[in-house]
Amino acid sequence: MTSPYAETEALLIAKAQKGDRDAFGELVRHHHPGVVNVVYRMCGDVELAEDAAQDAFIQAWLHLPSFRPGTSLRNWIYRIAVNAALDVLRREPKTPLIDLETLSMPDSAAGPEIVLLEKERAFAVQRAILSLTETNRSALTLREYGGLSYQEIAATLNIPLGTVMSRLNYARDRLKELLAPQLIDMEIANG
Amino acid sequence: MVKHVTPWLNAYLDGELPDAQLRQVEKHLAECDECQAELEQMRDLSALLHETAPADEFLPTERFVANLTLNLPRQPAQSQPRKALEIGWWLIPVGALGVWLFFQVTFSLSSVVLTVSETGLLGNGLSWLQGDPPQTRWFSMAMDLFGGQIGFTGKFILSAFNDLSQFIQDLKSRFIWQGLFATLYLGWLASWWLRQSNQAIPASTVPQS
Repeated sequence: MTSPYAETEALLIAKAQKGDRDAFGELVRHHHPGVVNVVYRMCGDVELAEDAAQDAFIQAWLHLPSFRPGTSLRNWIYRIAVNAALDVLRREPKTPLIDLETLSMPDSAAGPEIVLLEKERAFAVQRAILSLTETNRSALTLREYGGLSYQEIAATLNIPLGTVMSRLNYARDRLKELLAPQLIDMEIANG
Repeated sequence: MVKHVTPWLNAYLDGELPDAQLRQVEKHLAECDECQAELEQMRDLSALLHETAPADEFLPTERFVANLTLNLPRQPAQSQPRKALEIGWWLIPVGALGVWLFFQVTFSLSSVVLTVSETGLLGNGLSWLQGDPPQTRWFSMAMDLFGGQIGFTGKFILSAFNDLSQFIQDLKSRFIWQGLFATLYLGWLASWWLRQSNQAIPASTVPQS
């Protein structure tokens, strides 16, 4: 059984494929937060992520007539978004600078010292993600921040299911090594 | 020696393990402190990765959509050759099905007409359809050489073998036709499935692994 949004999405896709910008705008509105989250984790920089998101949606618009109804638009857009993020990183070979000021934390009521510590932790997390290879980072980002299943990641990145599992294993093992101090802190805090 | 389930913990945490492995991992986790600690560390890592929200300097969705829809280039129309290709693509199974149906109906009708004609219900009007019963080459040769020497039983057995041989030949030709159509249709189905799974994506964003 399809969800009401899935039915609406099918109509919006059909309209957008015929050049309806408003219909495409609706699709973008729905997928924007997810896409931004994924490309930000891929790029590690706000400006680069904005560029990548913009490029991704423009590419999606231009190639929408070739999109086949009945397949997952989210997977298709995420695939474009991941590759747009990689393209942006190649165009801007400098290592993205993660600015502590731009890292927002969920609990702003905490004291300044705690906020600073949390920001440093967020900085370490983003730096660790960026140190992963592009292939492993893509798989990890789609799983952790895109919420895609293994099967969907396999379809999105056009790789076998076993490769998805090995890339995720490798990425998480590497992150555990890189974020060992932060994980120890968490363990202590959790008792 | 205890076999740890560490390689399966990621998939376990992601809810991606099939039932059989899931039970195996759960059973092991209930007994193994080492794997439990490993799982706990993975949970902490996942929590750590989700602790930080993306920067709040991002354009709000509404502004992003407004800017984007204003700057969208003209969408290229689907070209005529591509449309023709799409139509041709769908004509393959329809054509195969049509040809198959035509042959099936023709064979069945001719069988019915011949059977009815043999019973004499249609009079002699269709006697030209019946003709002599088909003979295999070896049957003709056998009849030429030994026709006068063998009795009624011998002729009957030879005739039965001849009918059987004819039946197998007919069956073979039918199987070849049916197999040909089935191969064509299954080939089309496989290509369709591949096209569906390999959704076209912009050339500039082809994954580079």
